Amino acid sequence: MPDAPRDEDLVRRFLSGDRAAFAALVERHERRVYNLALRMTGREEDARDATQDALLTVLKKLSSFRGEAAFTTWLHRVTVNACYDLLRKRQRAPLLERGDDDLPAIEPPPAADHSDTSDLSIDVQRALIEVPEDFRVVMILHDVQDLPQEEVAAILGIPVGTVKSRLHRGRIALARALGVRPAGASGERPAAAEPSDGAMSP
Amino acid sequence: MTHPEDLLPDYVDGTLADAQRAVVDAHLQGCAACREEVELSRAAVAAMGSLDEVPVPFGVTGPVLAEAGRRFERRRKVAWERLQWSAGLAAAAALILVVVLNLGGDEEPTTVAEQAGTGATAAGAGAAEAADMQRFASGFQGLERQQGVNYDQEGVRAVARDSVTALKDATPAPNAAPGTEATLTYAAPGRAISCLRRSGAPVGDPRDSLIRLIEAEFEGRPAYIAAFLESPGARQPPDQIAIWVVSTDDCSFLSGATQPV
Repeated sequence: MPDAPRDEDLVRRFLSGDRAAFAALVERHERRVYNLALRMTGREEDARDATQDALLTVLKKLSSFRGEAAFTTWLHRVTVNACYDLLRKRQRAPLLERGDDDLPAIEPPPAADHSDTSDLSIDVQRALIEVPEDFRVVMILHDVQDLPQEEVAAILGIPVGTVKSRLHRGRIALARALGVRPAGASGERPAAAEPSDGAMSP
Repeated sequence: MTHPEDLLPDYVDGTLADAQRAVVDAHLQGCAACREEVELSRAAVAAMGSLDEVPVPFGVTGPVLAEAGRRFERRRKVAWERLQWSAGLAAAAALILVVVLNLGGDEEPTTVAEQAGTGATAAGAGAAEAADMQRFASGFQGLERQQGVNYDQEGVRAVARDSVTALKDATPAPNAAPGTEATLTYAAPGRAISCLRRSGAPVGDPRDSLIRLIEAEFEGRPAYIAAFLESPGARQPPDQIAIWVVSTDDCSFLSGATQPV
């Protein structure tokens, strides 16, 4: 069986007029794009919109994709930007919708009853939304989508050191949002008995 | 006390080199704050492990692929028409008899004479508009100004359908009988025709003749709507109507439709 074409080959084929190449790119990456959007926005409806926005942006801008970055890096960047745009829009919308009937109404948050789905993942998703966006995106790309820190840095256009620090702070924020209580803090763990000097580096 | 914060994420991930790991281990022995952070981080990573990948719901990518199809179609057509245009210029010189009638110079309305039914066309245009010479089908009535009429995509398709119907029902107009010279009058053709040509419409192509030209609005934007009768090849019978909708402001392509004849 022949090897599947590389993304960059599909991009080249698309630019030379092969319509099926774009469909192949979408099919290959739609799941990753959608799941990134779902974890970033926390709502299926928003994830659908962000996914469509991202893929339409890819369609419109693919001709200007020069291949300096890997296609997947660029695709992730486009998706993250679509999520940021949508989240900003959602924050603004409650004010605007009062005077503008054309804007879609904002749905209420998901109902609390999720007995038919995984309670844990729903709790985690809810807690994740409480983590600041800049930390959240790093955690989703690294901890959920298993991308290396260097790749996350390239997608977001930030230094690897910044990825590390956002990852660390984001994880702590998520654990706190989940109500995790460290054993050391409650004095249960012997190793924690030794007093800390409490001085934190800036 | 300096905390090795930048090492803690990799420590939690288990990706630190041995030497660095030893540094962190030694620090954690004496730092409850960092121990707590490591513990919280591990809990967070474990929690995120419950976020399984979910399938993409039905209907998310369909509209995107449909849009891709439309863009491809448009691009293909524009590229094809541009090719036809450049190739058509040479062919037009041999095939089309252009008679410039100088009826009052620059005065409008411009007059166009046509030898209907023979395929030979005369465009009433000055030298500056020679590049926009265009074949007009018999029955072409000139630029129809439809003020206040706003077309949508369905309206454009209707123009295509109506054009086919009109072709089938057409009774030869008195001034368009075969073998006779017909005179048509219309307003400011140069602007509309050159605008269409800029948009990539098959202006000047020997396989296309303009059968209807409307100035109206398309989805709220001022637009020219042109119906071309297209043949698969020179001297072959026409097989479809192609509608081009272009912005009157910047001559950009706004929409299109085709209808088999």
